[in-house]
Amino acid sequence: MSNYETYLTLGVAIQLASFFLLMLFGPRLGKPWAGWVAVAAMASACGLATITLVGWMGEIENGTAAALTAAAAHNQFHWADIGKMPVNIGVKLDSLTVIMYFMVTFIATWIFVFSVGYMAGHSDEVAGKSKFHRFFCYLSLFAFSMLGLVISSNLLFLFIFWELVGLCSYLLIGFYFDKKFASDAAMKAFITNRVGDFGFIFGLMMVFFFLGTLDLDGAARVFADQFHSQAGIFGREYDINLLGWHVSSVSGTTLATMMGIGLFCGAMGKSAQFPLQVWLPDAMAGPTPVSALIHAATMVAAGVYLVARVFRLLTPEAQMFIAAVGCITLTAMALIAIVQTDIKKCLAYSTLSQLGYMVFAMGCGAWIAALFHLMTHAFFKAMMFLGSGQVIEGCHHEQDMRKMGGLMRKMPVTGFTFLIGVLAISGFGIPKTDIGLGGFFSKDEILAVAWDRAYMWDEPIEDHGGHHADIASASAFQLVSFSPDQEHGDHGGGHDEGRDTHTESAGEHGDAHAAHGPVIEQPHGKAAIMAGVSALPRWMFWCALITAYVTPFYMMRCWWLTFMGKPRDQHVHDHAHESPMMWFPLVVLAVFTFVCSYAIFRPLIADAAVVASDAVMVVGLDGVAVPSNDPVARSEAAGAFIHLHEAHDFLAYAVGGSWLISFIVAFLIYRNGLEVGAKLKSAFGPIATLLERKYYFDEIYGFFLVMGCRAVAQVCRAFDTYFVDMLANLSAKITERFAAFSGRAVDAYVVDGVFNGIAATSMDVSDVFRSPQTGRIRNYVLFATGGAAIVILVLLFIDGSSGPGVVLGASGGG
Amino acid sequence: MEGSLLTLLVFLPLMGAAGCVVMPKEMARVIALLTTLVTFLVSLWLIPPFLAGGDAAQAVNIFGSSYGETLHFVQRIPWITGDSFSIKYFVGIDGLSMPFVVLTTLVSLFACAASWNCHTWKVTKNLKAFFVLFLMLETGMIGTFVSLDFFLFYIFWEVMLLPMYFLIGVWGGPRKEYAAIKFFLFTLAGSVLMLVAMIAMFFYSADAVAGGVPSGYQDGVTITQGTFDMIELATNSAIQENFAAATFMGVLPFASTMFIFMFIGFAVKLPLVPVHTWLPDAHVEAPTPISMILAGVLLKMGGYGFLRLCYPIFPTGGHFWASTLAALGVISILYGALCAMAQTDFKKLVAYSSISHMGYVMLGIAVMTHTGVQGAMYQMIAHGISSPMCFFLVGVIYDRAHHREINRFGGLWLTMPKYGTMATIGFFASLGLPGLCGFIGEIYVLLGTFEARHTFEWAVPAAILAAFGVIFTAGYVLWLIQRVYLGPEKEEYAGYPEASGREMAILVPFAALCVAYGVLPKHLLFDYVNGTLNHIVDTMQSSGAITALAAGS
Repeated sequence: MSNYETYLTLGVAIQLASFFLLMLFGPRLGKPWAGWVAVAAMASACGLATITLVGWMGEIENGTAAALTAAAAHNQFHWADIGKMPVNIGVKLDSLTVIMYFMVTFIATWIFVFSVGYMAGHSDEVAGKSKFHRFFCYLSLFAFSMLGLVISSNLLFLFIFWELVGLCSYLLIGFYFDKKFASDAAMKAFITNRVGDFGFIFGLMMVFFFLGTLDLDGAARVFADQFHSQAGIFGREYDINLLGWHVSSVSGTTLATMMGIGLFCGAMGKSAQFPLQVWLPDAMAGPTPVSALIHAATMVAAGVYLVARVFRLLTPEAQMFIAAVGCITLTAMALIAIVQTDIKKCLAYSTLSQLGYMVFAMGCGAWIAALFHLMTHAFFKAMMFLGSGQVIEGCHHEQDMRKMGGLMRKMPVTGFTFLIGVLAISGFGIPKTDIGLGGFFSKDEILAVAWDRAYMWDEPIEDHGGHHADIASASAFQLVSFSPDQEHGDHGGGHDEGRDTHTESAGEHGDAHAAHGPVIEQPHGKAAIMAGVSALPRWMFWCALITAYVTPFYMMRCWWLTFMGKPRDQHVHDHAHESPMMWFPLVVLAVFTFVCSYAIFRPLIADAAVVASDAVMVVGLDGVAVPSNDPVARSEAAGAFIHLHEAHDFLAYAVGGSWLISFIVAFLIYRNGLEVGAKLKSAFGPIATLLERKYYFDEIYGFFLVMGCRAVAQVCRAFDTYFVDMLANLSAKITERFAAFSGRAVDAYVVDGVFNGIAATSMDVSDVFRSPQTGRIRNYVLFATGGAAIVILVLLFIDGSSGPGVVLGASGGG
Repeated sequence: MEGSLLTLLVFLPLMGAAGCVVMPKEMARVIALLTTLVTFLVSLWLIPPFLAGGDAAQAVNIFGSSYGETLHFVQRIPWITGDSFSIKYFVGIDGLSMPFVVLTTLVSLFACAASWNCHTWKVTKNLKAFFVLFLMLETGMIGTFVSLDFFLFYIFWEVMLLPMYFLIGVWGGPRKEYAAIKFFLFTLAGSVLMLVAMIAMFFYSADAVAGGVPSGYQDGVTITQGTFDMIELATNSAIQENFAAATFMGVLPFASTMFIFMFIGFAVKLPLVPVHTWLPDAHVEAPTPISMILAGVLLKMGGYGFLRLCYPIFPTGGHFWASTLAALGVISILYGALCAMAQTDFKKLVAYSSISHMGYVMLGIAVMTHTGVQGAMYQMIAHGISSPMCFFLVGVIYDRAHHREINRFGGLWLTMPKYGTMATIGFFASLGLPGLCGFIGEIYVLLGTFEARHTFEWAVPAAILAAFGVIFTAGYVLWLIQRVYLGPEKEEYAGYPEASGREMAILVPFAALCVAYGVLPKHLLFDYVNGTLNHIVDTMQSSGAITALAAGS
């Protein structure tokens, strides 16, 4: 076990320890010490994460990272057997884990610090009672589950932690559980996620039984193996027969697509993708730090993380499905955000829209861009949520932006950091230069790939070399060679020693020839798959581009209404203040929004793409999958986006100018407050109503699913109470009558006696039973147990030599 | 010594009962608690022989290479002997029964602790008799799980019935007589068919071994008479051949007929829709500790019976009825969950949730895959932990409020924070949250059902339908938690005391077990049971049209 695994595991264990500590001694620790325990636990995990991150970057420089990843795959714990197949769990140690772990711990640390300040007032009170320690207890449990999710090497364990973060989300949304809307929202979140998990479970089943392992790497390897040799899931056609609905000759690829979509269903729940988006806005009922941590930065991004992890199991068709879902989400949710008046709801819809971008990017094949956007978004969105928390706390729990305005003077730090967040999410940057905030780069990359897929894509695979030559070095595809005979270094379903030998970038094939002769003879890998990847429908690209204009508009609107203009509610304005405990984390996150994104994250994610594209069926199209031990190629990869921009001038300006145009429009409309906006709203009457009612999703689900389900439940209950019970009672009555009749008419045989005895007893059990020692009980026991013996003895006596046929009316057949 | 340990275990509670009878009234609950505690401690001695089951090399020593070789703590004494028959006092345990025995003693211990406040119940007459019957019930339950002679099994099965009947009928709620009789008659009706099957199997086995055949699992033993030996019936090839070839009453195939005769008896116990209707009534009327026993142990006898009698002896019957049984399992899952959703009585809701959970047991066994049967087994043990806990949670609040109307509760988490936390753990375990015990069984059953897709064309639809149960369960459990524990504190309940030390002493171990069984399935259960279960499933699969299923093929 390398140090890194120890660090990562230790960080997870510390959170669990903190959880138990707070659960057992929380009330005694009290306020604010219970909070500091959680902060200390989180900060030490963050320290470990930083050590790991720095060390890991060194390993990459030295070219030893891949070996460590491979070594980590060997350290596994035999957790259980499913049937006769072992399930091994371990730490997935690669660049993606390291960076995701760092992101989560870093943001969580500052949000925990913020929470101590936020909860210091009366925000920790549930119905007037302080639940301070409980809040931090939940936060520690969440940190444990989330970090566990990140380091899991096994899909089943990923699923277990996945559900645990869902539980924490449920508990924290419902933190103010004395409020009906909070407990409703919590329930809605959990059940909506369960609907997604329904699909996830099916994905897991198919992975397990078609690929034979739940190990992330193992499954990917088998999947690629089966694809290349057209065996396993791809080996034959299937007949699907679902209770009468019969489809014959379903190809293996279709089945694999269903598997991918099944796994993605889980992500749809957790990342609140259309049509399961309904829970996230309601989840804002939780305390604001929770919204920042769980419902903006980390947990909701877990869906995207899952897609990134199972990316190697996705067929082109499954990817297209993912892209479509992401595209619908990003567009539809951004439009709703325009009409929101609650500051947290506005941020929630913007989160939904940005998650849509990430999922869309995954669907397009922009693996790196999606994760890059996840990272940058986590920082600035967490910061903005904390800012909104500061505002809400400062304004005495006022969340309505219509009552705010002019808070800049009262809350300068919050206002400025919020503005940085607005700029970042809007994609502030200057086209064709290196100047810009994280969101600028990440969104640009996504759109560039979408453009590429929508407009520059030539269906036949042969063409790609020539046409895309200009971007091939930077953005496009590499041939991933694959050799089946190397793939069977499979010990117990999870280990792969030879992984790094499978990832040769296109440029290095010359060397690879010598080293792996047979590998090159069948250069299918990516190339073979490329034939299956079709062009992206153009509407998807345009949706994503137009939404890039909508985003700055609603964010600027949100910021302007809150911080600028004249105060619209003097009472709220008078109360407004900010506290250092709370603004300090804002500043830290703002600084990170500035500096972190490009320099650290992009190269590391690009490095992680090496893993994602090894022995893969479909590789991230933007992923310059470079071997970890080649620093030169890696630095080229870091500059990839620039090349993309050069390739598409139109796009560079179209995206790069979006923030400016939209800011101006928003400024013109909301400069003087709400009047112009209100007029516009009445001008767009029905559309505005449609957006305000969130496309009536809540109503539709409430009526058809919730009410429908309850109605069916009532029917079942009535059926059970009246019909099934009635049958039982009826047969009892008949038996009773018959027993009474036969008791009179026939001499008492054994069975009759038993029945009558019971009937008689039942009349007045208590009377009969008043004195159990008198022998009645013993009689009964004797009666029943002896009854069986007597029957047999009688039968044996009758039996004699004539055999059982006499008694049972049949021959023994012996 | 090893041989008589089980006998000691079976009759320990009975000795305790005798003690209760002779000692003064006030001492009854003390003696009962001590007896259950000692019984539990003694039952822990059953575990060591299975300990190294996780190690593949050791597993062969422990579980043998076939179904008959896996027995431990065997004691075999001729009991009733005639010219043509020999009924034995034959007890022993294998991986299948050991966890159930320990579960029984554990749940009995906690149930006894739960009856500690019996003097505050509505019915307080003759509490001495309560504990006497309680201990007799424990003897019956342990006896049922350790008997390997069908006749002995049947006797213990019936012995169990009577104390239960009185425990519900005397110390129960308003409709106790109705509930008690319903429970009794349903179970009795089921066991009548079992009796017929037992007798028939005896005679048919007598035919098969006429002239003497070597025993199926005991070295050097020759069988010359018909037998009640459950292991012999399953392993003796001569008997098996006769069972497979014979007909019953001239027309019916013997195996599948006997299978269904025994099956009905166990299905009532499980309970499986449509013979489940005694369960909600029995639970609602029974006092809290009796509900705990009923849900925690008695329901498991159905599943145990399937795995001990129905499937190993008549694997072809299992295949013949597979689609019907799986359908009943799926219906139980969904119907139970939907009925639970519509309940307003707290205890009735938990009772229907038991029906839903036991549906997974049926489905897992019906598909006859390794994964499915392992899942069914795990589901039974997990439910044996979580459902007594849930019933006790209901009991705690019933003791204070004296009603169980879900809609009248609210805000209890604020009133009783510790109790609320325990309730959250218990109900989430019942919901099947990963990390808690309910999850493993459900996911294994779903996986196992999917695994059977090559054998049964209905397997995938069944898995899909059963998976809907996951959503419904979340629905009714969360709605329940919202209505009872969340929301603003209510005036009515504001003065309620927090869970007492005794109550926490029951809830905390249950909660700890819920977590432990959710985290370490292999080390806490599968290592001890898989050896035996795999033998049973191999038997099931090797017969009839079932071919071994290789994953990924």
